[in-house]
Amino acid sequence: MLIFAIARVIPGDPARIALGPNATAEQVENLRLRLHLDQPLSVQYGHFIADLAQGDLGVSLYTNRPVTQDIAQFLPATLELIIVAGLMMILIGLPLGVISARYRGSWADSTIRIFTLLGVSAPSFVWAVILMLLFAYFLPLFPIAGRLADSMTVPTVTGFLLIDTLLAGNIKAFGNAAWHLVLPAFALALSGIGQAARLTRSNMVETYDKPYIEMAESYGFPEGRIARRYAFRPSLIPSLTIIGLDFAAMLGNAFLVEAVFAWPGLSRYGVAVILRKDLNAIVGTVLIISALFLIVNIVVDFLIAMINPRIRLSQRAQ
Amino acid sequence: MQKTVRSFAAALLAASALTTAVAATTGQAAAQTVLRLDEVAVGELDPGKATDYADSILMFNVYDTLVLPKQGEVGYAPHLAESWETEGNDFIFKLRQDVKFQSGNPLTAEDVVFSFDRMKELGQGLSFVFTKVEGAEAVDEHTVRFRLSEPYSPFIASLVRLPIVDKKLVMENLGEGEGEMKDWGQAFLSSHSAGSGAYKVVSHNPQEETVMEKNPDYFLGVPDKAPDQVRLRYSLEATTVRTLISQGEHDISSQWLPPEVLKSLAADGAQFLTETGGGAFYIKMNTAKPPLDDVNCRRALSAAYDYATGIRMVAITDEIAQGSPSTGAIPVGMYGANPASEVMQRDMEAAKKYLAECKHDPSEFTLEISWIGEVPIEERFALLMQANFAELGIKSEIRKVPWALFTEQVTKPENTPNISQIFVNAVTGDPDTLMYPMYHSSAAGTWQSPEYLKDEKVDALLEKGRTVMSDEEREATYSELNDRLMEIAPTIYAYDRQSVFAASNRVKVPALSDPSKSFGMDGMGFTFRLMEMTGE
Repeated sequence: MLIFAIARVIPGDPARIALGPNATAEQVENLRLRLHLDQPLSVQYGHFIADLAQGDLGVSLYTNRPVTQDIAQFLPATLELIIVAGLMMILIGLPLGVISARYRGSWADSTIRIFTLLGVSAPSFVWAVILMLLFAYFLPLFPIAGRLADSMTVPTVTGFLLIDTLLAGNIKAFGNAAWHLVLPAFALALSGIGQAARLTRSNMVETYDKPYIEMAESYGFPEGRIARRYAFRPSLIPSLTIIGLDFAAMLGNAFLVEAVFAWPGLSRYGVAVILRKDLNAIVGTVLIISALFLIVNIVVDFLIAMINPRIRLSQRAQ
Repeated sequence: MQKTVRSFAAALLAASALTTAVAATTGQAAAQTVLRLDEVAVGELDPGKATDYADSILMFNVYDTLVLPKQGEVGYAPHLAESWETEGNDFIFKLRQDVKFQSGNPLTAEDVVFSFDRMKELGQGLSFVFTKVEGAEAVDEHTVRFRLSEPYSPFIASLVRLPIVDKKLVMENLGEGEGEMKDWGQAFLSSHSAGSGAYKVVSHNPQEETVMEKNPDYFLGVPDKAPDQVRLRYSLEATTVRTLISQGEHDISSQWLPPEVLKSLAADGAQFLTETGGGAFYIKMNTAKPPLDDVNCRRALSAAYDYATGIRMVAITDEIAQGSPSTGAIPVGMYGANPASEVMQRDMEAAKKYLAECKHDPSEFTLEISWIGEVPIEERFALLMQANFAELGIKSEIRKVPWALFTEQVTKPENTPNISQIFVNAVTGDPDTLMYPMYHSSAAGTWQSPEYLKDEKVDALLEKGRTVMSDEEREATYSELNDRLMEIAPTIYAYDRQSVFAASNRVKVPALSDPSKSFGMDGMGFTFRLMEMTGE
């Protein structure tokens, strides 16, 4: 109900915006009637709920297609992007934090801290433009826009190109799709990488000062084992929480990176439909993003419980 | 520690090598020529709903119309129609018999009638240009009659906005809906083409791009040099377009790139393409409330406005600007326009003389100059006017108005600002679609007509322009209208619009670079079959 109400208080007449400045008053009025905009909000809400119950989110005035069709087409592109960005946060952010903590005070620690500070201090769209200029313009190593080279086509099965290319047995296209993902995913992940690395480092540094680490060292345990098992694992929980929150937030925040890299995702679609006051599409997009946000947070809570026996055991006790 | 750093460096090196290898494999040039361009809005594939620039590009290439604007001159030439004649208010068209749709179905009079009925029934897009048409009927397989309610000579021009749809294909693909015609094929036509045009749609993703390929069976043929494939991309950021063009991965930008980006692309060797499409930038004066209800006050402001500085404000280089000097109410290239050499100029002496004859004392009023919030350049024009008018001793205040509020304000003369700024285009290329909605007294109170002009002579000339049929009579009528509008000055005719596009040197577009080949209509310069890929 809240989403429905918010979509309708955005200023502007959706019918006028959809039909453009040349449309006549009669055309605008006809569309208003067709969209039930002439009726009280309570009646409009009744229509909305009745359609929603049948899985019908209505037609988008932006694309002139069913909103469900739009979401089905654009959601996989965004999910693929943020999953890869999330993996980058884990696979780059956490190791950087471990290295930084393990070799604290060294040049490697200083370099990593500067890098991670840069990551968190600028928004992702700034990094998107910088990365594009550095690695696509001055040093043309990566593609500038889109998900796949113009010369390649892959049958759509899941909408996730990394999966569809493999299902089609097209390794070349798989490599190309992965290559297209690198810059936008990295731009999106940089802030999260910085946060994860810095948090992991500070927690591990704190952990290294604990007596049980000193004891492990005095027993002559290997450095790697101490770092992995006794220092890193307890430090992982705050980092994982942050990565989980960042991952969920990327669903909505990815639009500027999607815009810079011409990534045809749901996030960009969401902003476009808000600017056009496309009521059905706004409600559909916000519903999906909210649902995914909840799911991601539940999954993160579950993972934390898996890692931290105290949480798991306290839950069991309750 | 060293081992870790070495491993990290090795991983980076491997990733770099992999990306280079992938780049090499995918960088191989395809055998076919590909034209890549972009537009800011999503292209609407359904020709019955087409309104803006992207829609027009799609429509003019995927579909055909009965007539086309003549290249390099005013008037319309036969296209799907072989000839036409009038009978009372009716227009009767003989169709070509050698035209087939992309589906292979032959194009007949039934398709023309279906296309017209569909557009009227949907009531979207530019269907309003057919309000004078009561109906269409197929006289025989290749003859179609349009019945008009009253004499209306701009009807021929309106036909460039009636794309002919493959009835048989659409009827086979009707979606859910009520009645015999169900949804009139809206669901199908929003993602498929059903035209006879030189290009057919291969794929359409409204968030990304529409891909089109040559129609080898096009009735006029498609030259070999025309692009084999066209990719119309949507909503690209200026930075992205700039990088893509510089890297040779994009061919023609949209007209909405910021001037500084256009300048930097020119410095990189890009060419500029231009299109004048019967549109202009108008500074509109509310004639229904003081002090601009006095013609001399309006003339004073028209004479005091600095036209040359206005053009410099939209200049990209010394040679190219997003506007060309105005010569009057009607843009150059349309019926009734003044010659391109007779440009509007600032004349402060005349301005002072007119102001002296104005019945209102300039010290007793403050003009409200509005600018549309979504169009930032208008703020600069508001500041220019404020400075210009101050030299006459006229005080003014500048007010930013969001578009939605502006369209509401102009419905009442007392709420309409003294001065509003509007970009207007003739949707069919005919002066009627530009001038009638702005200046006929019956049209007052819309965003196009915040002047609230009530002038019997203007009304009479606008109505005459709709009834006279010959090119000569129309030229004379609109020329007289132009003179009258200059005389009573409801508007400051700031500049004629000129769309500027940055393009790579891989493509030649005569319709956007050679005035003798231009169509004088927005979007039609992007007729892909008339473009040439240079192979550079």
